[in-house]
Amino acid sequence: MRIRPVYAVLEREIVRMVRQRTRLVAAMVRPLIWLLVIGGGFAAFIGEARGVDYKSFLVPGVLGMTMLFGAMLAALSTVYDKESGVMRMMLIAPMPHAWIVVAKVVSAAAAALLQAILLLVLLVALGYAGRGTEWGLLAAALAATSLACAGIGMLTAAFSRSLDNFAGIMNFVIFPVFFLSGSLYPVRDLPPALGWIATANPYTYGVDLLKHALLPGAGSADFGIGLDLAVLGLATAVTVAVASWRFSRESAYEPMIHVLANRAQ
Amino acid sequence: MNAPRAAGVDTRAAIRATGLGKRYADLLAVDGLDIEISSGEFFGLLGPNGSGKTTTLHMLATLIRPSTGSATVAGFDVVREPVSVRAAIGLVFQESALDRTLSVAENLRFAGLLHDLPLRVIGERQRELLELFGLADRRDSPVAALSGGMRRALDIVRGVLHEPRVLFLDEPTIGLDLPNRRRIWRFIERLRARTGMTVLLTTHYLEEADGCDRVAFIRQGRLVESGAPRTWVERLGRHMLEVEGPALDGLAAALEAKLGAGLREGDVAYFRCRDEDVAAIARLQAEMGSRASAWRVRRPNLNDVFLWVAAGKALD
Repeated sequence: MRIRPVYAVLEREIVRMVRQRTRLVAAMVRPLIWLLVIGGGFAAFIGEARGVDYKSFLVPGVLGMTMLFGAMLAALSTVYDKESGVMRMMLIAPMPHAWIVVAKVVSAAAAALLQAILLLVLLVALGYAGRGTEWGLLAAALAATSLACAGIGMLTAAFSRSLDNFAGIMNFVIFPVFFLSGSLYPVRDLPPALGWIATANPYTYGVDLLKHALLPGAGSADFGIGLDLAVLGLATAVTVAVASWRFSRESAYEPMIHVLANRAQ
Repeated sequence: MNAPRAAGVDTRAAIRATGLGKRYADLLAVDGLDIEISSGEFFGLLGPNGSGKTTTLHMLATLIRPSTGSATVAGFDVVREPVSVRAAIGLVFQESALDRTLSVAENLRFAGLLHDLPLRVIGERQRELLELFGLADRRDSPVAALSGGMRRALDIVRGVLHEPRVLFLDEPTIGLDLPNRRRIWRFIERLRARTGMTVLLTTHYLEEADGCDRVAFIRQGRLVESGAPRTWVERLGRHMLEVEGPALDGLAAALEAKLGAGLREGDVAYFRCRDEDVAAIARLQAEMGSRASAWRVRRPNLNDVFLWVAAGKALD
């Protein structure tokens, strides 16, 4: 497969991210608010969760949150691309249309990864991470989680027609994925119904892997490292496959072309 | 692109469509089109809005799958070898295919990389083409800051950056004012002179189609006429009689009796006439001219052909 087109999409994603300063600042501030304000508040009366003080328990969750939001928003920019001219540029490029999906997922994951690394630097500086961290495992967790989040985002984008339902996607995809994971509470302490949903949520396994890496041996994780990696890998493969299938069908972009062709009728 | 071609390749059709059709659930957009366009030809596809021009172009560019028939572009099948087709063609859409958030140079870098061009080649061609299209001093401007004419020019640069063998232009000057339309045409002429690429154009500005080697007229998804623009005009007739007036019905009926069916557009009626009709027309004007507010005999042009064919009338 040709690598230059993937690089083109990746470079554009990073250039756009760096230029949109507010998006980058928000990606840092949002998790810090959760950690310091909400985490601080709950820590005052919960004390600890699964043997870890609540703020430390939240650190993997907020790191995951940066990737979830970063990757989802970057992947969802595909919907914006469909409405602007950018999708036309990609559609007429000499590569299979499914390759656009792969390029977008890789780019969204890379953007999310960069944001996560920036936040990690802040967390280390603030003393919330770094002691006892298993760095190799953390690197794997960041990569696997950002790819899975980008895949979920791309799947959502492939089935979205316009930016109008962006707020709907925020409320019905991103927030539930975040809240119904182990980010804010241990999965095994959830009521059964919510526990099942969290267990079925692939993002839960990303946060779980981050817990293994950031709080090794603390017992705050719910699943094994092998299971976490397997679920994340499977989620990435399935979402990319379905999004590519959807995208290769011209119906995914034909409405745009159809509208253009018949605009003046 | 100007790599030496195998002998005989130039005589092969750049575009060949056989029975090409597209049906949407409720709409037969294109109905069994047969077109053959030679390598290096400048071909115009004319037709009113919604006649199926853009759908045809998008089928040839592999963006829409044909419902019936088949087509090859640059020797590749549009359904079985879409990636090879896309590598051989350039496409300028009706609406701009640029990223407004990036600069001129960044857009071309993005488009070039998508076409798998090395950065060095992108840099060289970008310099050359921006010079040719009068955009050399706008390299670092954001696309959002360009005028409509400049954006269109950049869109064409984007479409030819990879030196395609076949260039599709879908209404390239739509929405532009006259000076900008002329500029775009000068650019396209220079480009054709330099590269000899095959160009398939859709337009409804008839004076633009005058420069085509051959034009085809498409109406309600069917190809109704094709030929060189000049022979078309000749086929329509030697003269056009144009009569204008508020109460034309009686006059038009009288003229139709002498000259055959004409074309009515509100207060204007057109009739075509042969050389031998001219004397009769003069007599008719003496008889009935007072009933019209204007009475003109002139040479027909491509606009007349367009209106004639669009109204579903035979040319001969």
